[in-house]
Amino acid sequence: MRHLLVVDDDAELCQLLSEYLVPEGYDVEAVHSGVEGVERALSGDHALVVLDVMLPDVRGFEVLRQLRARSRMPVLMLTARGNEQDRILGLEMGADDYLPKPFNPRELCARIEAILRRSGGEAAATDARSAGDLTVDDVSMSKASRMAHRGGEAIELTTVEFDLLEALLQGAGRVIPRDELVRTVLNRPFSPFDRSIDTHVSNLRRKLGPAPDGFERIKSVRGIGYQYAVRHLPQGLKK
Amino acid sequence: MRLHIKVFLWFWLGVVVVSGTLIGLTELTHSRAQDDRLWQEKYGPRVDLWARQETHILRTQGSSALEEYVGSFQADPGVLNYMFDGSGREVFDRQASAPVRAMVEGLMQSPGWTQRVDAAERIVAERVLDANGTPYVVVVDFPPPSVLSRSLLDLVDADFSGGRPTRASVIRLAAVVGVAGILCFVLARHIAAPIDRLRSATKRLASEQLETRIDRDVLSRGDELADLGRDFNGMADRIERLVTAQRHLLSDVSHALRSPLARLNVALGLARRHSPSGAQEHLDRIELETDRLNTLIGQLLTMARVDSGVGLERRIVFDLATIVDEVAMDADYEARARRCVVEVTGERNCPVLGAQDMIRGAVENVVRNAVRHTADGTRVEVTVERRDAAVPPTVLVTVRDHGPGVPDKVVPGLFVPFHRGPQAEGTPSGTGLGLAITRRVFEVHGGTATAANADGGGFVVSLELPMHVRDDVDQSQADSRPTTEEHGNAITAA
Repeated sequence: MRHLLVVDDDAELCQLLSEYLVPEGYDVEAVHSGVEGVERALSGDHALVVLDVMLPDVRGFEVLRQLRARSRMPVLMLTARGNEQDRILGLEMGADDYLPKPFNPRELCARIEAILRRSGGEAAATDARSAGDLTVDDVSMSKASRMAHRGGEAIELTTVEFDLLEALLQGAGRVIPRDELVRTVLNRPFSPFDRSIDTHVSNLRRKLGPAPDGFERIKSVRGIGYQYAVRHLPQGLKK
Repeated sequence: MRLHIKVFLWFWLGVVVVSGTLIGLTELTHSRAQDDRLWQEKYGPRVDLWARQETHILRTQGSSALEEYVGSFQADPGVLNYMFDGSGREVFDRQASAPVRAMVEGLMQSPGWTQRVDAAERIVAERVLDANGTPYVVVVDFPPPSVLSRSLLDLVDADFSGGRPTRASVIRLAAVVGVAGILCFVLARHIAAPIDRLRSATKRLASEQLETRIDRDVLSRGDELADLGRDFNGMADRIERLVTAQRHLLSDVSHALRSPLARLNVALGLARRHSPSGAQEHLDRIELETDRLNTLIGQLLTMARVDSGVGLERRIVFDLATIVDEVAMDADYEARARRCVVEVTGERNCPVLGAQDMIRGAVENVVRNAVRHTADGTRVEVTVERRDAAVPPTVLVTVRDHGPGVPDKVVPGLFVPFHRGPQAEGTPSGTGLGLAITRRVFEVHGGTATAANADGGGFVVSLELPMHVRDDVDQSQADSRPTTEEHGNAITAA
């Protein structure tokens, strides 16, 4: 049984979700206010938080901000459909994924699965993928500790951003198509008009800053995807 | 500021001209009095001399010699010389003017006086006694000076009057210029400054800073401008209330309509799990209709948002070509299912100013529409064109499909909300709002959206936006924001 925390003021929806998710192997705890949400989320009892943007007391973003200040626990945001700003803001503030409301419960299950596989499988992933560190120019990342550094200085990355950086560094110098990034980093099939991967790239860019020579580290390749620009031969790949 | 300068200059000029005129007039009358005094000093003794001479000639050489002598005065134009005997009779019986006679009589009746002068009329009368003790009165009537010549004289010859009144006038005028300058500047500022404030407040309010109010400085003036300020604040209060209410309503409606849909979706998921396989088909239908309803709600809300201007405050400068590329790339992915291709040609670097998400959505509506209607295996052609020569310069995006097209008479209605175009066989129906939203979005950005049947079949939609020109002062704020192609940077905290 994996424990989920659902923060949504719609009690009936929480009830239905609980009913739907239990047979899928989840145990759902529902709270209906942001204050309670922060409190419960920080208790450490849950594997993932499903967080609605629209809450009666504080906005979901505020809950996310308080949560992110103290915890890296995975968060799936439920946003109002058609409100791009909410989606981008949620991802920028460190949500792992988002789902527009109303959603298809199967889709919700799949997203939860994907996030949990990514974050829960951290330890396993460490040896499954090539163990050890990865370094390109002045950026290095340690998969064991899930820490990233730029020139010796630690960079705070969310789970998604860490995985994204890993994918980019592993393919440094190569153009990685967007759909490939969506599949490997977000663990879900690529769907057109979903621009969350671009938002994650944008966040990562902002956190990494420009390369020492002033150039953008992650280049957009129009119509295809993204490329991590290499200045020197990546040491992590020298074997 | 321009009003300030204008009011200032006009007031200043007015005060200076009025004061200058006053000073000039004072100067003029003042020097005339002096002029008269000088004239009297000069001609009084002379007339005295002439009078003695004339009586002497009359007594010693007779009246004919005197007549000759007096006649010599007539050679000077305008100078008249009269001689009256003790009984007041003119010696040669000439007619004298009224002022002259009045002076003679006046002199006769005041025995203590020997000379009377009317400086303004330029007349001098002198009483003399000849050697026999017979009294005579000699009058010399000079031509009066012309007013014009005297005024000119005053202005041209600074030292005419001997003293220094003109320099004093210059100092006076300078003082007026200085004092009036300061006072008028303050006055003009007093009038223009609150107008400047009102204007900048109006501008800020119009650019969605709804909390803008006129401050106490203006309101405490107690004049019409203060009233205007109060009226402005009243209006701003009302606008802010309305806009806030509208935004809350939008968000409440969105929440209220979607909550039941969210529950319906989960309930549907549960129903699928527990229902016999025969019911799945109907459940699919329910799901499809739920999706449509959801899309419709989303579009209605988008329409309302666009109409109420929500989101326009987050305008940034971005490259429209990049947005078109991204949309086309996604649409291409979708189109592959029907062996169709979405192809973008045209120029890069087409900066426009606007709410990026809104414009992306508007372009997406059109491109997806084209993908939906183009025939299997055909291509949707998207072009991006910079029209630098247009006034003002614009960016034109055209989206052309190779579908059945639309009857010409239906075309104008395509942009009307819920106007249904003819449904081609087998094409999925839209909500009837997509193109209407697109047009509204482009219109609120100062652009246009039009459609027509293409030559050689198919349908073409043209979208045009004003190009963002670098040195546009009003947009300097937006300019300072990042103009990168990354839409993630477009965020400003709500």
